[in-house]
Amino acid sequence: MRREEILSEQVDHVRINGKLTVDQLIRQFSNSGSFGAGRISTACDIYERMVRDEECTVFLALAGAMVPAGMRTLVADMIRKHLVDVVVTTGANMVHDAIEAVGGHHYKGHWLADDRILYKNHAYRIYDIFVPEEDFVRLDLKLADMYDDMAADNEGKSLSSREFAWELGKRLNDHDSVLRAAYETQTPVFMPALRDSEFGYIYHLHASRNGFKHLLSVDAFKEVPEIINICRNSPRNGMFVIGGGVPRNTVQSAALATKSGLDYAVIVTMDRQETGGLSGSTLEETVSWGKLKGEADRVMVVADATIAFPLIVASVVERLGEGFVRRTRVAAEVLEGLERQQ
Amino acid sequence: MRKRNSSSQRFCGNCTSHNAYNYPCEVFCTRRFLQGKDPIVETLWHCEEWNANAQECNCIEDAREKQK
Repeated sequence: MRREEILSEQVDHVRINGKLTVDQLIRQFSNSGSFGAGRISTACDIYERMVRDEECTVFLALAGAMVPAGMRTLVADMIRKHLVDVVVTTGANMVHDAIEAVGGHHYKGHWLADDRILYKNHAYRIYDIFVPEEDFVRLDLKLADMYDDMAADNEGKSLSSREFAWELGKRLNDHDSVLRAAYETQTPVFMPALRDSEFGYIYHLHASRNGFKHLLSVDAFKEVPEIINICRNSPRNGMFVIGGGVPRNTVQSAALATKSGLDYAVIVTMDRQETGGLSGSTLEETVSWGKLKGEADRVMVVADATIAFPLIVASVVERLGEGFVRRTRVAAEVLEGLERQQ
Repeated sequence: MRKRNSSSQRFCGNCTSHNAYNYPCEVFCTRRFLQGKDPIVETLWHCEEWNANAQECNCIEDAREKQK
């Protein structure tokens, strides 16, 4: 590479005025092109290409306490506007979605709170957010009844976590709910670590109360062909990862199983690669597994997702404009096909 | 004579089976729920299966305060 090529692009400095929109600021980040700002602007470009590509299935992998931190309606709106085709999430995020759907709330707190005092007041802490214990208890009571109802409706048939999510969404009467939005738009929501959340404890209540008879049954493996076939039947696949963990690995493993690798990847995380854990692993490492194509459009943004996630989505929504309509049918067709085979 | 600590007095609000429900007046009793009984009971009530909670909370004091 020649010296003129190395030094070909100057850093443009950010200029602020009182009328800047989110996307205008992001485009200034692109012009400065540096550090985290440069990566966020690249993430916006890649997510925009993913969404505009109607042959791409967009997977949103959601880990970390995004719903308690105020990202609930953002995710529900993304689903309703078809800006994601498949959601893979921790059970916990959907538990917190359901808590709000049945009337509970999350409260602003402080990370320096005395946790012994919180304990004495039956208040749980998620960094600087507080959740009252009674909101979990009310959820337990309502969902234990819903589990009974779902068990009766399905008469011993085992559900995948995706079917479980839709069954819950059907019973939650809240437009802002992620689960409700997914049910209404028939967007698959996979929860590969479903039992590692309050949903698991509620199962214990449901089962114990009913003497371990007439139980709701969720089959952890039933979703595997669902997500792999969605990936296989989609001409291209992209992932938008918040955090990492089990949701990120579930999407990547589906891509690996199809032997095709992902075409697009945006990751927002604060984890580091040195531990060997998945959440901090670089996208180059993902290429080595064949889970991501070597030539894939990709970026890892090292940032607090409560800042970067809404910025990226807001910027892309602004670029797409009000009239933008996205139509993808792959996930729906795959699930209909699997349904017919059963 | 020293006043008895509320943790040693028998109340649903300091039993191992309680969780907050309608704080501070009512608690959720896991044991009653699993027995098919109404699980919502008054914080200052107790039943024969009462077990002392190892880690105290403020339910009793706050329920008494509310009662005044």
